[in-house]
Amino acid sequence: MTPTIALSGIHKRFGANEVLKGVSLEAREGEVISIIGASGSGKSTLLRCIPLLETPEAGSIAIGGETVRMRSKGGRAAPADAHQVNRLRASLGFVFQNFNLWAHMTVLQNVIEAPVHVQKRPRAEAIAEAEALLEKVGLAEKRDAYPAQLSGGQQQRTAIARALAMRPRALLFDEPTSALDPELVGEVLRVIRDLAAEGRTMLIVTHEMAFAADVSTRAIFLHDGQIEEQGPPARIFNAPTSDRTRAFIARHLNR
Amino acid sequence: MDLSAYFHLIGFNGGWGLQLVRAGLMTLAVSIAAFGFGLVCGTFGAWAKLSGGRAVRGAADFYTTVIRGIPDLLVIYLFYFGGSQVLTSLGHAFGAEGFFGLNGFMVGMLAVGIVSGAYQTEVLRAGYLAVPKGEIEAARAVGMGRMLMLRRIIVPRVLRFALPGMGNVWQQVLKESTLISVTGLVEIMRQIHIGAGSTRRPFEFYITGLLLYLLLTTVSGALFRLTETWSLRGERRGAG
Amino acid sequence: MDFDFLSDTMGKLLAGVPMTLELALISTTAGAVLAVLLAVARAAFVPAAWFVRGYVYVLRGTPLLLQIFLIYYGLGQFAWVRDTILWPFLRQPYWCAILALTINTAAYGAEIIRGGLQSVPAGAVEAGRAAGMPRLLLYRRIILPIAIRQALPAYGNEIITMVKATSLASIVTLMELSGIAYSIISETYRALEVFLCAGTIYLVITFVLTRAVAGVETWLNPHLRASRT
Ligand SMILES: Nc1ncnc2c1ncn2[C@@H]1O[C@H](COP(=O)(O)OP(=O)(O)OP(=O)(O)O)[C@@H](O)[C@H]1O
Ligand SMILES: [Mg+2]
Repeated sequence: MTPTIALSGIHKRFGANEVLKGVSLEAREGEVISIIGASGSGKSTLLRCIPLLETPEAGSIAIGGETVRMRSKGGRAAPADAHQVNRLRASLGFVFQNFNLWAHMTVLQNVIEAPVHVQKRPRAEAIAEAEALLEKVGLAEKRDAYPAQLSGGQQQRTAIARALAMRPRALLFDEPTSALDPELVGEVLRVIRDLAAEGRTMLIVTHEMAFAADVSTRAIFLHDGQIEEQGPPARIFNAPTSDRTRAFIARHLNR
Repeated sequence: MDLSAYFHLIGFNGGWGLQLVRAGLMTLAVSIAAFGFGLVCGTFGAWAKLSGGRAVRGAADFYTTVIRGIPDLLVIYLFYFGGSQVLTSLGHAFGAEGFFGLNGFMVGMLAVGIVSGAYQTEVLRAGYLAVPKGEIEAARAVGMGRMLMLRRIIVPRVLRFALPGMGNVWQQVLKESTLISVTGLVEIMRQIHIGAGSTRRPFEFYITGLLLYLLLTTVSGALFRLTETWSLRGERRGAG
Repeated sequence: MDFDFLSDTMGKLLAGVPMTLELALISTTAGAVLAVLLAVARAAFVPAAWFVRGYVYVLRGTPLLLQIFLIYYGLGQFAWVRDTILWPFLRQPYWCAILALTINTAAYGAEIIRGGLQSVPAGAVEAGRAAGMPRLLLYRRIILPIAIRQALPAYGNEIITMVKATSLASIVTLMELSGIAYSIISETYRALEVFLCAGTIYLVITFVLTRAVAGVETWLNPHLRASRT
C-alpha cells in the first residue's frame, strides 16, 4: 500500500544553520505519529516541509503516492508546479501552534473558506459539513463568532475544524496546545484524541509526553535535524535504546 | 453681521446657493478622482516597496521621498504648465497647430492623486505589515493560490489595518483640492473667491467656505469612522 | 538640457530661499509656543478645553489656503479692523501669511503635544510625586522631557509640512521660492526645468531638516543610542 506521506532524505538549511540533515519518514494510513525532541531540533521545520511551507534543498516528498515535482531556481530548490503544490496542500490539514485563524471571518466562514474557494465545493454542502464539524469539536453555538471573541482553546478547536473541512488525507499538528493556558489544553487534546480513535492519519509535534505516549501508534525522537530513534511509544517512552532519547524523556516526564 | 442679509447672499433665492452647491460637488468629484488615482499609485508603490527587486524598491522610495519633500503646489504647476508644455510639443511633432493642455480637473486628479499616492503607499505598506504572518501562512497551508489569497485574505485584512490611515489621507486630499483652484477649476475655493470678488463681501464668502469644508471633512470623517467600526466588528472582545 | 537656463533659474530661485525659510521659521516658532499653551490649557482648565477643542477642530478641518484668504482678503472688509493698530500688519500679505501659518500649525502642534503628554506613564509621574517634587518641578524634570521626546518625530513631520506650506504664500503674491518659480514658468513656459530646480531646492531643505530632527532625537535619547549596537 502506498504511504499517505513519504519523505526521503530531506535536507533543510536556514543560511548557515543546517536544520534538517537527511530525514526520511513514512506515514501509512491510520498511523498516528508523534514527533518529539528538544527545542530547535527541527520538529516544526520537518512538519512544515510536508505541505511545502518550507522548501527543502534536497530530498523528496510524496503525498498519497504523488511526488512533489521540484526544480532548481537560481541555484535554490523550488516547487516546479505551483498548482500541484496547492492541490497537495489542500489534501492535508495543518494545525498551527498559534491557530492562525483569519480574523476578518467568523468561525463558520473560516471553516468553509477553503472548501468553497480552493476545493470549489458547493457552498451549501460546505456549510452543512462545517456545521457537523463544529458540532464535533463542540463549537456549534459559536459559528457566528469572530476569532477575537473566542478563548484560545476554542480558537484551536476552530482551527482543527477548518483543517478537517478539507477532508484531508492526513492532519499535521505543530504543537497545538503550546500557546494555550494550562486549563484549556485538555479540551483540545480531547478533540485530537477522538480524531485518533477514528483512525485518521496524523503527525503531531508536541511537548505533551503523556499525551503522545497515549495517543500515538509510533513515536519519533528528533535530535539535531536527524531521527535519533523511532518505534512504538511503549518502547520509546519506557525503554529507549538511545542515551539521548532516554535523557530527553527523563527530563520531560519529570516536569 | 446681519444674518438675514447673509442668508440672502448665500441662499438659493437670487443668492449664490446654486453655484456653491455645484462647486461643492466639483470639490467632491475632483477629490474622489484624485483619491482613487492615488489609491492606484499607492497600491503599486506599496507592492513595489514590499516585494519589488532592488531597482523597483528604489524607484518607489524615490517617489515617496520626493513627493513628501516638495510642496504640492509645485506638483500642480508641473502638471498644469508642464502638461501643456509636453502636450504642445507632442502636438507639434505630429503636425498639429496651436496650444494643448490638460484641463483643471485632469491636472487636479493627477497632481493631487500622485501626491496622495505617496502617502497611501506608506499607509498600505504599514497595513500589509500589520497582517499577522500566520494568517497568510494558513492560507498557503490550505492551498490557496496567489490571486485567491490576495482576494480573500490579504486585501480585506490590509484594508482593515489601513482604514484609519486612509481616512487621514482622504481628509488631506479634500483640503489639498483647494490648490487646484489655481488652474481655474471652479471648485469651492475658486467659487468662493469669485463670489468674494464680485460682491465685495469677502468675509462672508470665506466664512462660508470654511463652513463648507468643515461640513465635508466632518461628514466624510464620520463615514470613515463608521466604516472602521464596521470593519472592526470581529475584533470586539467579549460579545458573541 | 539647457544648462544655461537651469543655472540661471537656479540663481533666481535661490534668491527666494531666505523668504521661504523666514516664513517657516517665524510661523513654526510662534506656532510651537501657541501649541504648547493650547495643549497645556486643554489639559489644565475645563472651560479652556472646550475652546481648544473647537479651535483644533476648525483649523484642522479646513484648508490652509482658505485660512490665508480669510485673513488676507476677509478681515479688511470691516472698517473697525482697518482702524486698529494691527491694520498696518494685516494689510501686508507677508504678515497675513505668517499669521495664518502660525494659527494653523498651532492646531496640529497642540494635538501632537497632547499625544506626547498622554504618553507620559502614570508611574513616572507617581514616582516623581513620591520623591516630593512640586508640580512645576515635576513638569520641568519629568513630564515635559518625556512628552517632548515622544512628540518629536511627529513634530518633525509638522515642521516639514510647514516648510512646504509656505509655498501657499505665493498665492497671496509673496515672492518666496514657489512664487518665483511660478513667475519664471509663466514667463518662459518651461515648467519641467523650473520644477526640477525648485523641487531640488525644497528637497535639500526638507532633507537637511529631517536629518536635523533625527539628530536632535538621538541627542535627546542617549538611552536608545547606547542600546543600538
Ligand atoms: N524561518 C526561519 N529562518 C531562520 N531560521 C529558522 C527559521 N525557522 C526555524 N529556524 C531555525 O531552525 C532551527 C529549528 O527550528 P524548529 O522551529 O524546526 O525547531 P523545533 O524543533 O520546532 O523547536 P521548538 O520545540 O522550539 O518549536 C532553529 O534553530 C531555528 O532557529
Ligand atoms: Mg516548533
